[in-house]
Amino acid sequence: MRKPQYLASLTTLACALVGTCLPVHAQDEALDLESAPVEKVEKPANTKLFFEAAVGSASQRYQPGSVDTQRGSLDWVYSGRVSPSLRAVFSNRTDIINPAMPGSDSTINSLREAYISWQPDGGDTVVDLGRINLRNGPSYGYNPTDFFRDGSLRLVTSADPFALRQNRLGSVMLRAQRLWNGGSVSAALSPKLADAPSGDGWNADLGSTNNRDRALLTLGTQFSQTLNTQVMLYQESGLNPTVGFNMTALLSDAAVAHMEWTYGNEPDLLNRTLSRTNTTSNQSRFAGGLTYTTLGKTSITAEYQYNGFALDAAGWSALGPAPTQRLAYLQQSLRLQELAPRQAYLIYVSQKGMGLKDLDLTAYLRVNGQDDSKLAWLELRHHWPSFDMTFQLQHNIGNSNTEFGVLPESRNMQVLGTYYF
Amino acid sequence: MKPFIFALLLFGAFGGVATAAPSATEILYASDAIRNPSKPFSVTVTLTEFQNGKQVDTSTLTSYSRLQQQGGQFASLVRFIAPARDAGKLILKNGNDMWFYDPTNKASVRLSPQQRLLGQASNGDVATVNLAKDYKPSLAAEEEVQDGERKMRKAYKLALIAVSPDVTYATIDLWVDAENNRPIKGRFYAESSRLLKTVYYRKFQSQLGVQRPTESVIIDGLNPQSVTLMRFSDYVARNIPDTWMQRDFLPRFQPE
Repeated sequence: MRKPQYLASLTTLACALVGTCLPVHAQDEALDLESAPVEKVEKPANTKLFFEAAVGSASQRYQPGSVDTQRGSLDWVYSGRVSPSLRAVFSNRTDIINPAMPGSDSTINSLREAYISWQPDGGDTVVDLGRINLRNGPSYGYNPTDFFRDGSLRLVTSADPFALRQNRLGSVMLRAQRLWNGGSVSAALSPKLADAPSGDGWNADLGSTNNRDRALLTLGTQFSQTLNTQVMLYQESGLNPTVGFNMTALLSDAAVAHMEWTYGNEPDLLNRTLSRTNTTSNQSRFAGGLTYTTLGKTSITAEYQYNGFALDAAGWSALGPAPTQRLAYLQQSLRLQELAPRQAYLIYVSQKGMGLKDLDLTAYLRVNGQDDSKLAWLELRHHWPSFDMTFQLQHNIGNSNTEFGVLPESRNMQVLGTYYF
Repeated sequence: MKPFIFALLLFGAFGGVATAAPSATEILYASDAIRNPSKPFSVTVTLTEFQNGKQVDTSTLTSYSRLQQQGGQFASLVRFIAPARDAGKLILKNGNDMWFYDPTNKASVRLSPQQRLLGQASNGDVATVNLAKDYKPSLAAEEEVQDGERKMRKAYKLALIAVSPDVTYATIDLWVDAENNRPIKGRFYAESSRLLKTVYYRKFQSQLGVQRPTESVIIDGLNPQSVTLMRFSDYVARNIPDTWMQRDFLPRFQPE
């Protein structure tokens, strides 16, 4: 039975003043609701497939006007059981881009993963073999303990660090993991299978991910419900071992802290750019930050990043006024997914339901700690049941002798449509 | 199972037969046992969101839950099934150890309780949780109350106050059917006494041997026009090891 309208209004007013009760008419209306009849309950699917199309415009720094860009991408992931204890995983992405990158085909296929996983007896022991995207590190913009990150990107379609991880290639490896209550230990062995990266769009590009022998040992520990750590030992052929450590901690109902650190002996970033790999030094890498979530559905992350193998301000200046060397250095840091300056800062913001229920905002600002140049990136994404429409804007800010000011593109805008099958 | 708990479960099944008035703790234990199977289980949850009476969203997920040996609270691993955009994403909740895992970028992101409340999975807090573990109950009243199917029921009104520091709701008012200890309705409050959610438990059906609610009507406390229906189906008792409930297992999770 419904209450008279004036009574309902009085109830609403009283509840608004007191703030602790629910208007009876709202309650009655809620109880009238029935979910739409469901033909059949959805079952987990083994396959995930989406198509994405993008058009954009990139303002140029070294030539007048702007360059129009187009891209079409087909992304396919399969993960299914082939026997009770054996699972097959296949993950592939094909991008057609215009204009093509210098020295590359316009069609670029990224065979991200293709492996079998043996998981007997409830899953406490796992052995994987094949091309595996092994990713570590809780930081947002720079992951020193993500040891298999270098050479893993065939194509950069977005400046969003999370999207970069989505599109990367795995490395061919044998991996074994043992889990127990509150921790795990894992070992990964990745052999050298090719010498150099391939520009052929349809090549599996093992030369990017398996160009040397590598091994990683990881011990993960959950010390409490608020503290998780990973201790790592990484070794690649020709170099001394590198130690790594990362952790996350819950500080309060709204705040999470993260950090990662590595220490090793290897060539610095400039020597790698110049292929002078005999000169090595002992240095550390670090990233640490804090994420705070407000009641208004906004999450804000502030992160400090440090790379002891990167050029300091004096080293950057010594590259000279011409952009060629600087661009080569930055290109190498992007290929290795390394931090190009010695120090940097990141502010990363995401807001769910911005004005509209299905409209999400993601934005970040990356600041070079030495020359104060900045990369600003913003994304607005609207969801429909099977379709996303996205607007992205990237702005590289700084004068011509800075990290972001030397980049050929000063501003990049694109609109994307993504359909999920 | 401890004899004490067994006795309470018996009380839950034949509560109306007992002659002595049950204590608030006994009522709460019995009500918890109706909402939550005591053995590890999975259940498919279909969430339908309404704004101003109109359906605006729907999603499906499967929740894998087990009572943890340590702490006596439920740990849940939630896997998104639909919409296609979110398929395969996971949320782990083991007390305050909460993680979001996206298989497409292999990222395990630790969530704060406030961050987790942003998503639909947070509604699971009002479904799979052992209230008797985290709250001290007292019998506030015996009264007639309208249930989720608009029938008047004689109910115990329990006032629950959090005794565990890491719970989402500071206090809860819970109405439990005086005849059979079925949960009827709950009001969930923040520390500031602001009403966060009102929940009706309805459509009781036999699942894993007990009459359990197969639908919850969740009314947002701040915006009563925002309503979520949670439908529970396909309860399955299954082996869910302790080792599943940790971050390092998330990339390995492939139950089907």
